Amino acid sequence: MKFKTKWTIMVVVLLSLSLLLSGCGGPKQSDDGKNAEAERDYFKVGVITSLSGASVYGGNVTRRGYDLWAETVNAQGGIEIGDKQYKVEMVYADAASDPATGADAVERMVTTDEVDFLFGPYTSGVTLGVAPILEKYKVPMITGSAESPLIWKQKFKYTFGSIPAVDLTGSAPVSTLVNEVEGGAKTIAVIGVNDAFSKATAEAFKANAEQLGLEVVKYDIVPEGTDFTPLVGAIKELNPDVLAVGGHEQTHMEVIKAAKSLGFMPKAFLMHYGITTPDFINNLGTASEYVFGGAVWTSDLEYSDELWGSTKEYVEAAEARWGNMPDYTEAASAATGEVYAAALAEIGAVPPLSEEEREQLVDALENIKVDTFYGPIDFANEGDWYHNNVGLQPLTIQLQNGEQKIVGPSDVKVADPIYPVPGWEER
Amino acid sequence: MDLFFQTLVNGLLIGGIYIAVAAGFTLCFGVLHVIDFAVGEWVMLGAFAVFWLNFFTGVDPLIFLPLIMVLFMIVGYYFQPLLQRVITNQQSNALLMALAFTFGMSILFRGSALTLFGFNQRSLTTFLSGKNFEILGISIPALRFGATVFAVLVTLLFMFLLYKTKLGLAVRAAAERQDVAGLMGIDSSNIARIVYAIYLGLTAMSGTFLGSIFSVHPDMGLRYTLFAFFVVVAGGLGSIQGAILAGIMLGLINSFVAVYVGGQYIFLILFTVLYLILLVAPKGILGKGW
Amino acid sequence: MEYVDNSQKRNLIWIALLVIVATVIPFAISSFWLRIVTGVLMWIGLAQSWNILAGYMGYVSFGHGAFFGLGAYVTAIAMSLGVHFIISALIAGVFTAAFAAIIGYPTLRLQGAYFAIATWAFAEAIRQIVLVLPFTGGAYGMRLPPMLNENFFYYMMLLTIIGTVAIAYYLMHKAKFGLKVKAIREEEIAANVLGLDVTRIKISVFALSAFFPGILGGIYAYWITYIHPDSVLAPVIADQMVVMTMLGGLGTIAGPIIGAVVLFMGNRLLWVFWGDTSFYLVLVGLAVALVILFLPSGLVSLVPRLGKKDKPKVDDQPNSSVTEHTK
Repeated sequence: MKFKTKWTIMVVVLLSLSLLLSGCGGPKQSDDGKNAEAERDYFKVGVITSLSGASVYGGNVTRRGYDLWAETVNAQGGIEIGDKQYKVEMVYADAASDPATGADAVERMVTTDEVDFLFGPYTSGVTLGVAPILEKYKVPMITGSAESPLIWKQKFKYTFGSIPAVDLTGSAPVSTLVNEVEGGAKTIAVIGVNDAFSKATAEAFKANAEQLGLEVVKYDIVPEGTDFTPLVGAIKELNPDVLAVGGHEQTHMEVIKAAKSLGFMPKAFLMHYGITTPDFINNLGTASEYVFGGAVWTSDLEYSDELWGSTKEYVEAAEARWGNMPDYTEAASAATGEVYAAALAEIGAVPPLSEEEREQLVDALENIKVDTFYGPIDFANEGDWYHNNVGLQPLTIQLQNGEQKIVGPSDVKVADPIYPVPGWEER
Repeated sequence: MDLFFQTLVNGLLIGGIYIAVAAGFTLCFGVLHVIDFAVGEWVMLGAFAVFWLNFFTGVDPLIFLPLIMVLFMIVGYYFQPLLQRVITNQQSNALLMALAFTFGMSILFRGSALTLFGFNQRSLTTFLSGKNFEILGISIPALRFGATVFAVLVTLLFMFLLYKTKLGLAVRAAAERQDVAGLMGIDSSNIARIVYAIYLGLTAMSGTFLGSIFSVHPDMGLRYTLFAFFVVVAGGLGSIQGAILAGIMLGLINSFVAVYVGGQYIFLILFTVLYLILLVAPKGILGKGW
Repeated sequence: MEYVDNSQKRNLIWIALLVIVATVIPFAISSFWLRIVTGVLMWIGLAQSWNILAGYMGYVSFGHGAFFGLGAYVTAIAMSLGVHFIISALIAGVFTAAFAAIIGYPTLRLQGAYFAIATWAFAEAIRQIVLVLPFTGGAYGMRLPPMLNENFFYYMMLLTIIGTVAIAYYLMHKAKFGLKVKAIREEEIAANVLGLDVTRIKISVFALSAFFPGILGGIYAYWITYIHPDSVLAPVIADQMVVMTMLGGLGTIAGPIIGAVVLFMGNRLLWVFWGDTSFYLVLVGLAVALVILFLPSGLVSLVPRLGKKDKPKVDDQPNSSVTEHTK
C-alpha cells in the first residue's frame, strides 16, 4: 500500500512543521494599518452585545444606552480633549449571546476595525469569553450590564463594569423588607433560574435573608424554560411572607402570571432585575404593581451630569429617543460613555489611541471618579469586585403606579414601602 | 394532602396545554413521516398573528381562534408541497432531509420575526387571564383550564374525523400504506396537504393559548419544539392517543418533580425518562407508534 | 469503488497543495480571519465526525453535540487538576469514545427517527447533569487559563481535522471496514444474516464518531477559555453538524468539508456585514432551506467528481421513499 506510506509521511511532516510554526509564531499584531489611519480625528468605539440569540432583549437595552451617549456627544460636537472636540463613531457586532461568537467579534473589532476602546456585552458569559482577548491586545472595555460577581473575581486588567455585581445590590431590598416595614417579613421563599446571573441573584437573596434572620422556607434553582405553576403552587402551600425570584424579565412575568392564576399573593414579591424594564410593566399592567426590586439607579434620583445636565434631563432625552423610560441597565450603559470621556480628557489622548495611550486610559479608569446622572462611578482596584463600580449605593425599589420608587434604605427613600401589598382583587 | 392534589391539577394542566400541539404534530408524522423542527416557530407565528390581530382590533384574543385556525390551514395547505418536494426528491432518508429543511425554516422564521417585530416581550391578555376558581380547596387557573378543555375538545373532534368519516379513512389509509392507498384511488398528495394544513392550524391555535399563558416573543418557539418532541416520541410517533397520554405524563413529571424532588432536576428527569422510554418501548408508552 | 491510480495521484497532489496552503495560512491573514478559519476547521471536524456515523452507517444522531461538550468539560476539569493541555485533550477524546461505546450499546438498537430522538434526549440529559453537578461549575461555567496564541489553536485544530478526515477517508473508502459499515446502512438485517458482527461494528463507528468531537471540544475549551452548558452543550451544536453535512453532501468526504466552510463562513460573513441587525439569521435560514430544496444531494453535487456518492446505484430501489417507511 503505497498510499499509506505517503499519508504517513505527509502527516509526520505536517505535524513537525506546525509544531515548529506555532512555537515561533506569536500572536500576530496587525499594526500595519495604524499609520494610514494616523490622522483619524474621531474615536472609533466598539460595541459588542447580544443583538440576537437568547439575550436579545437585554442586548438591545444596552445598545440603546450606548447609542444615546454617542448621539448626544456627537450632537454637542464630540468629546472635548484639550481645546479640540473629537466625535465618536460606533462599530457594532453581535455576540449572538454566545461567548465564542463574542470572542470572534472582539478580535475583529480590535484588529480590523482598530477600535480605541469598547463597550461591553449584556451577558456575563460573553464578557468572560471576550475579556481574555482584550488582555491580549490591551484594549479597555467597560460593560454597562454584566452583573455576575464571577467576572470581577477573575481580575481582568482591561475589563470594567459600571453596574455593581448582584451580591452587592441584592442586599438592600431584603434588608428593607425585614427592618424597614411594619411587621417586617419573617419568612421567605427563593427561586432562581439556573443561569449565571439569575442564580447569583437567588444566592444573594438567600444569603442576605439568612443573615438577617429570615426563615428560608424554600430555595430552588430551576432550569430555563420551566413552567412555574407547580413550584408556585407548592410555595403557596408554605405561605411565605416574601417570594423572591432571581431571573430576567421573562421569568418574572411568568412567575407573576403563575401566582396570579393560582390566586397566590404573598405579602411581597421581590424580583431584582427585569422589573425595571418597560416590558415588565407594559405586559403585566396592574399585576406588576408593588413588586419590590433591587437597583442602583432609578429615574427619580437627582444627580447632576456634565453631558445631559441632570438625571431628569437624561431621562427625558432617553424617553424622547426610545419611547420608553430607561431602566438601570440602559442608564448604566449611557453613563459608561461619560467615564471614557472623562478619562480621555484627563490623559489628553487624541484618536487614534496608541497602545501606550490605552494603557494610560486603563490607569486613568482605575483612579477616576466620575459623577454622572447615574451617580458616582468609581472602579475598585482590588478585592472581589476588582474593576467593578463600587461608587453606588444599593437601593430598594418598588413599583408604585407604574413607576419605580425608591423605598429604602430609609435615608434615601422617596416613598414609603407598601407592605403587605394589596391582593390581586383589590387593585 | 392539598398540596398533592394541587400538584396533580397543575401537572394535568401543564400537559393539557401541549395536547393540541402534540396531536397535530403526531398526525403530521403519521402521514407525512416528517418531524417538523419548526413546530415551535409555528407556535410563535400563531401567537404573533393573534397578537397583531388583537393589537389592531382590541378584540379578545380567544375570539380569533377560528380565524387563526383557518388562516394557518391555508398557509399549511400551500406550504406543504414545498415540504413534499424535499421529501420526495431525494431517494434516501426523507426523514433527514425534512429535518434539515425545517431546521432552516425555523431559523428563517425566528430571524424574520426578530427583524420585523423586534426583541420585545409581548403579552396577550384574554378574558380568562389571571383568573382562577377553586374546587375543594384547589385553585384552578382559568386560562390553563380553558386551554386544556379546548385542546381536548379539538383533539376529540379531530379523532372523530379520523375514525368516523371517509376523509379520516383515507388519511389513515395513506398513513398505513401510501402506495396501496394510491392504488385504491386515494389522492394521497392531497391528503398529505390536508393533514399538514390541519397540523398547522392546530399548532397556531395552541400558539394563541401559549402566548397568553406565557409571553409572545420571537425566541419563544424553542421551548415548545422541545416539549412537542417529548410528547410525540414518548407517546409513540404517529399515535394520537399516545400523545395525549404522554402530554399528561409530561405535565405530571414536571409538576411532581418540581414540588417533591427539586426544580433543578425537572429537565434532567424528563429527558432521562424519554431516553429510557425509547430504549424500553420505542413505539411509545402505548406501543402504538410507528 | 476503487478508482484508477491516475485520479488517486491527482487527488494526492491536490491534497498536498491544500496542506501546504493550510500550513502557511496563519502568516498570510489577519488574526481575526485566522480565528474564523480555526472555527471553520473545528466545524469541518465536527461535521465529518457526524458524517462517519450518519453518512456511512445511516444512523442519524441528534445528540452529537454532547460529545463535543463532554470533551470540553473533561479537558477543563483535567486542566484544572494540573494536567497538560495536550494530554487533557487526549483524555477527553478517549473518555468520550468510551462513553459513546457504553451509551451506544443500548441506543444503537434503535433505528431511524427513534435513534435520532434518543440521542437528542440523551444529549439534553447530559446538559442538565452538567448544570447540577458540583464540580462542573453548573450555571457559572468553567474558566480555563488563557493561552493567547491563535497560531497554536489553529495548528491544533488543523492536525485534529487532518486526522479526522484521513481516518474517515481511510476507514470508509479504503479499508474493508467501510464496506461492512455501508452494508449496515443499506441492509442491516442482511448484513447480520451474512455473519457480520453488526453490534460490534456499530459500536466502533459510534465510538469513533465521538472521539474527534471530544478532542475538538477540548481544544475549543482551551481556545475560548470559558465554557458553559449553554455554549458547549447547546443543541444547536448537533443541529449545525447535521445541517453542514446535509448542505455539503451526506456520505461523502468532501461534503462535510464544503458544508462546514460554506455555512460557517457564510454565517460569519453575513454577520460581519449585517452584524448589527438580526437580518443575517433570515439569510442563513433561507440559504439552508433553498439548498435542501434545490440541491438535495448537497453542494458537492455541483462538482460531479467530488459528489460521486459511493452508494450502489440508487435507481435499484424504485419508489424507495414510499416503501421505506412502511415497515
